[in-house]
Amino acid sequence: MRARWGLLLIGPLVFSTVLLIATQFVFLKASFFADLGMGRVSTEFDFSNYVRIVRDSYYLHTLWLTTYIALIVAACCIAFGFPIAYVLARSASRWTTLLLSTIVLSSFITVVIQICGLIIIFRADGPVNQLLLALGMIERPFTLVGTVGGVVTGLVYSSFGFAVMLMYSVARTIPVSLEEAAAVHGASRLRIFRRVVLPLCTPGLVVGFLTIFNLSMGAFTSAALLGGGRIITLPVLIQRTMLLDVKYGMAGALSAVLLIFVIVLNLISVAALRRFRVAKLVVS
Amino acid sequence: MSALPAEANPMQPSRAPSAVRLQWPWRRVLGKLATLIYFAVVFVFLLAPLVVVVGSSFSAPVNDDVVMSYVQFPPEALTLKWYREIPATQIRALGLSFGLALCVALTGCLIGVPAALGLVRARFPGKALVAAVFRVPLQIPHVVLGIAFLQLYHVLGNLTGFYLQGNLVGLWVGHVFLATPFVIGSVGAVLQRFNTRLEEAAYILGASRWRTLRRVTLPVIAPGVFSGGLYAFIVSFVDVPVSLFLASAGHTTYPVELFYAMEQDFNPSSLASASLTALFALVLLLVAQRIVGLEALLRAKAK
Repeated sequence: MRARWGLLLIGPLVFSTVLLIATQFVFLKASFFADLGMGRVSTEFDFSNYVRIVRDSYYLHTLWLTTYIALIVAACCIAFGFPIAYVLARSASRWTTLLLSTIVLSSFITVVIQICGLIIIFRADGPVNQLLLALGMIERPFTLVGTVGGVVTGLVYSSFGFAVMLMYSVARTIPVSLEEAAAVHGASRLRIFRRVVLPLCTPGLVVGFLTIFNLSMGAFTSAALLGGGRIITLPVLIQRTMLLDVKYGMAGALSAVLLIFVIVLNLISVAALRRFRVAKLVVS
Repeated sequence: MSALPAEANPMQPSRAPSAVRLQWPWRRVLGKLATLIYFAVVFVFLLAPLVVVVGSSFSAPVNDDVVMSYVQFPPEALTLKWYREIPATQIRALGLSFGLALCVALTGCLIGVPAALGLVRARFPGKALVAAVFRVPLQIPHVVLGIAFLQLYHVLGNLTGFYLQGNLVGLWVGHVFLATPFVIGSVGAVLQRFNTRLEEAAYILGASRWRTLRRVTLPVIAPGVFSGGLYAFIVSFVDVPVSLFLASAGHTTYPVELFYAMEQDFNPSSLASASLTALFALVLLLVAQRIVGLEALLRAKAK
């Protein structure tokens, strides 16, 4: 009977493997051919695209900028999201359900709509600027579009719900009895949080951080809309290289660089997980 | 007067040595208040863009014969004008997105359910590798997937003369590749908690394998299939990067249309169509919550 179940895998496995290998092979192969301009590609196999990426400060700057933004976004999501996730995991009131539903709802809505809303809110003549000007906290209205802060805000906004959901699962794995035992021994809530909950959640938080980091490194829509053509992250650059410049080779090379980054990070996270020997729920 | 000694009475703060701390009531109240404020801020932060989009979609232009290049929130005057003026391209794109997402969800379930069954129940060497293969699409940035598929279709087109880029089938395959891991994850999670004794009981009572599958297994894993399918639907409906590369002039999905509208030619009617989409998402969420409950949805996404 056992062997029979394995047969079910054959179809899906073939589908997934073929697509996976075929797609990755094609674009990786294309990255080894130089672009001759106007969509034509040379027939000589060389590393010129990669060399150009490493040598050209523009590409390096883009890579650094993307990493920098992704780090900030991941840190913000985890730092601001974990208290929410923890409190949600521990309480069971009607408001919990409401907030959780809002979080799930935010992931049901296209990123484009979310960014649209953010842009309207933070417009030069929008509510936030008007409020801040009225309060005298700023002299001139600030804009979100075309700034690093804007891209970070957009990315934090779109990843926040997902981060909270991840950490919610992590927080749920901590048995309440541990915290109760600490409370019985006289620890204050803050102390319980610091000495019991946080250490136990750390592996999950690390995984969450890396996941959000991955997501932000590869995030296209928010960066494209909020970058305003001035802040160009790696995914946006890849799209431009492909669709605007029509440089298949370079686009492939840039994608390969992004992919390698993400893979290396995943390997590190797997290694880190093994070190911490985490509960199964957290291993994704 | 208390019958118990002071230390043993839980109502009285203990005067025992440093092992026991006093809990001042006002510290707790302050803590609760801070938490409440923090929650309110996050709640507002999460909902604000949506509320603004929906609210602005009703805002009337101050000057009637000039199309506003920006929108007012809070709106000074209300109108349904933008809803009447939603461009036909966006409506077509909405229909396409919806139909495509439905196909993707169904295909994803068709591929994902057997995959999950095989993955959880079969035992063979290299199972971790197979699991990894199914999980990989989740970890590749969507931009990269978009490029990869576009180039693959190019190559296939050159080889076979059948061009998949800009084709609905090509878009469908790309989306299915994106969405299937969600189905597999969700169904797999349910299967792992599945009590096989239910199936064994069916066999003992004489049911055939197919009948057991149909009458016992599938109904039990149905919530997992539903949440997985729902997320497959959403991933497909909401996607921008892959659709950006694989769509063509006649076949764009709604998010891509909106993306272009925002980048190039913003018209408040986009807000109107966006509000309709948000309403649809809300309805979907309520229905899903009614059918499988919030926990299942959270589990499906966080895996």
